[in-house]
Amino acid sequence: MIILQAAFSGILVGGLYALMAIGLSLTWGMLKVINLAHFGMILLSAYLTYAIATGLGIDPLLTIVATAPVMFVLAAALQWAFQRFRVSEFNSLLISFGVLIMLVQTISNVWTADFRRLGSDVNPYSSGALSIGPLAFPMPTLLAFVTALALVIALELALERTFAGRAVRAFSEDPPIAAAFGIDHRRIGILLAGVAGVTAALAGMLFAIGGSMTPSTALEWVGLVFAVVILGGIGNVAGTLLAGALVGIVTGLVTVLWSPSAAPLVVFSIVVLALLFRPRGLIPRGGTT
Amino acid sequence: MARRTLLALAVAFAVLAAVPWIREPLGVPVFYLAFGALVFFWVAQATSWNLLSGYTGYFSFGQGAFFGVGVYTSAVLSGRGGMDYFLTIPLAGIVAALLGLAVGGVAFRLRSLRGEIFALLTLAVPFILASFARINTAIDGGQGIVLRIPEFPEFLGGFQDLAYLLSLGVAGLAVGIAYVAQHSRFGWALFAIRDAENVAEGLGVPTFGYKMLAIGLSAALAGMAGSVFALQIGFVTVEGTFNLTVPLFVIVMSVLGGRMHWLGPALGALIIVTLQDRLAAQGFEGYSLIILGAILVSLVLLAPEGLMARLRPRLLPVVAAAGAVYLALAVTGVWGAPLDWFAVALVAAAVVAFWPRRRTVAAARAAALGGIAPVEEVEDEDLTDTAAPEALPTPPAERAIGRPIIEAHDLTRHFGGIRALDGISLTIHEGEVVGLVGPNGSGKTTLVNLLSGALRPTSGDIRIDGRSVLGLPAHRLAHAGAARTYQIPRPFGSMTVRDNVAIAIMFGREAASLATARREARQHLELVGLVRHADALPGEINLHERQLLEIARAIATRPRVLLLDEALAGLNPAEIDNAAGVVRRVHESGIAIVLVEHVLRIVNQLATRVVVLDQGRLLAEGEPADVMRNADVVRAYLGRRAHA
Repeated sequence: MIILQAAFSGILVGGLYALMAIGLSLTWGMLKVINLAHFGMILLSAYLTYAIATGLGIDPLLTIVATAPVMFVLAAALQWAFQRFRVSEFNSLLISFGVLIMLVQTISNVWTADFRRLGSDVNPYSSGALSIGPLAFPMPTLLAFVTALALVIALELALERTFAGRAVRAFSEDPPIAAAFGIDHRRIGILLAGVAGVTAALAGMLFAIGGSMTPSTALEWVGLVFAVVILGGIGNVAGTLLAGALVGIVTGLVTVLWSPSAAPLVVFSIVVLALLFRPRGLIPRGGTT
Repeated sequence: MARRTLLALAVAFAVLAAVPWIREPLGVPVFYLAFGALVFFWVAQATSWNLLSGYTGYFSFGQGAFFGVGVYTSAVLSGRGGMDYFLTIPLAGIVAALLGLAVGGVAFRLRSLRGEIFALLTLAVPFILASFARINTAIDGGQGIVLRIPEFPEFLGGFQDLAYLLSLGVAGLAVGIAYVAQHSRFGWALFAIRDAENVAEGLGVPTFGYKMLAIGLSAALAGMAGSVFALQIGFVTVEGTFNLTVPLFVIVMSVLGGRMHWLGPALGALIIVTLQDRLAAQGFEGYSLIILGAILVSLVLLAPEGLMARLRPRLLPVVAAAGAVYLALAVTGVWGAPLDWFAVALVAAAVVAFWPRRRTVAAARAAALGGIAPVEEVEDEDLTDTAAPEALPTPPAERAIGRPIIEAHDLTRHFGGIRALDGISLTIHEGEVVGLVGPNGSGKTTLVNLLSGALRPTSGDIRIDGRSVLGLPAHRLAHAGAARTYQIPRPFGSMTVRDNVAIAIMFGREAASLATARREARQHLELVGLVRHADALPGEINLHERQLLEIARAIATRPRVLLLDEALAGLNPAEIDNAAGVVRRVHESGIAIVLVEHVLRIVNQLATRVVVLDQGRLLAEGEPADVMRNADVVRAYLGRRAHA
């Protein structure tokens, strides 16, 4: 029973990983930008959620009204700069690394390096749990999983059905041809990056509800979330949720059966194996070359 | 030149090594020893990182792993096991090198490996090691390890002197190795990998081996520096060791100093450490990472080539600016201590070096060429091409057909569900020019990729001189005598036209030294008519000339069969005729040719035999004139109704 509980809790935690990974996967797959600053934006959203909810004494879920636009603008501005300077895929990794450490240091200067956590007076979700039979699902991760699921469905539909979504996919497959058909990739790119910023706001908010944070938390996410992006298949939104759940299950089981510290060992071994045998993600999509 | 640099290095090392004995008479505070040790630690780390990542272009985010393994090797063996500390320094290097080889052995075998994937893979390694060290009580177990100060000889004043000298030793070793690497075959191989890895492999460079050597050496140096660092801080923890500080700093330092030059990372390390130290001393500690991040962002955007490349054309103004600023501060004495003045002088020097200025052609070339040594002796008496193509007699391509060289048997290659090649058997004989034609997508380029070893067949066999070469890496096929060109020219962009050819000679069937290779390169450039561009960069010549460079580079490997993949694509009629003349001359020099071509006029002129592919199958084969009249061939080219 404890193993089953660990597996289910793991899936829910995986929802949070997926939430963090969706934006990263979208911009990498569609815009050829590896945006490490995404982690800085998640962290900043978490701190803003903490600061606004504590300062105004409101429900942390309401803070998304403020954080989502901020992150949209931040991410869109960064993408504008990437396009303005025609930054290559690899240089985007270096530049956004620089932006990430600037964000982390700024956060550290504002909120100090101490652990911060939403007080139970403003956070009605911290102790709640949904019980089904003998299994308990803690509220914060449940919320994260449901949000991730909803976001995946919404994004998949948007990519499939809307003009902007089709334009993005066309552009990611063949930029010159897409441009020849009148697709303005710059506006589409900025819009997509902005949407990725909103996912960062969501991820940050849900992280703040569930746990405590220090500025260096952002760097701790990097490895695990990239594992989810790569396992899910770069640019594959639905894949990130599956990969997140898988990573969550593995982490949960290894934690229970072996040791919490051993979890990264197992997860990253899986990533290396996946890169060896499944370079295009666990569930390769489509039949393109 | 080289000897003078080495001498200067040795003198600098000796002066720095003498500091512990002359510091008291000179009244230098002990603080400078600690500062020097810190600088040398980062010089070693950054130089070691650059040996792998700067030279090959594979950015590693895993420097912290190699460093950390060095730290923990010494901490566990000496701190816990009681082994003599000094013995653990080389052991730390060995253990780190083994880790590096393990990482490289996995990563460099990934067929889908790209720079980004390598960066992320290496990013994961420190996290795996951290969790391993945390759960394993024999290593750390989560409490950290204390290192005792070892006994050291009496002639050293104190522990600071020891730490200083050890750090200097590792840094000197790292810089020395980087220097030697850059000026040897090893360095040239790495630069070729950075510019165009598949091309380098196809020209005979054993890329896997060189990459493994680079990652092994780099890791060993990082591990030894880590071992010294562990002794200096005396108490090591998992959190303090396996984090992103080391990879972050080495990347910023190397990008700042310049990744193409052996001294670049050391220069970057000196500047960054001095700045960090002074910022902290002035109470701006909280801004150091912000400044570091800003430096990284602006460098990548505005000056990705780094300081060393900028220094060459304006060395005097830079040194003058630094000296003037330092002297002004020292003489007026209104502010700060010597180290502050030094920091400000460094910043002034960097500003002068990076100051945007209209770049002269020479400066741009120096930037692009980076640290690669220029040709020292130019022995070309006249720079015009002596062998004008028109002047040569051009008899029809008739040579005696000799023994078979390449025999392909029943080759099949699938891509996913697509059969790009389906049961092709083909033999290339000595003295032949085989025209390989067919509509787009018929499998011509796939066949070239299989015959050159760039791809492996799904099934079938390839023999060269009767021996199967199936599964051999491409550089072995190059040594066996199969060379190829690419449809879209892929020159080594940071090397001159001459050096592009020279590298093929250096790593060809008979290894040659750089000097020999540069001398021999001339004859190949003459054959294709590129001598007058020998010292140009590939970016400075036109498409036709780059395609001729592809041919020159391929024949420089002294192949027996040359696979030309649409070497005439995109050329105008005059250029096509010139290129056809080049192909004919290559053939006359005794090299069999496989000519993948769409221009049938040229195929008819040159080929002794024509092979037609359609949808991955062999459609027809024979004398050019006969094949062109074949009804199936006409149908494949012109559609079904054309023949009716």
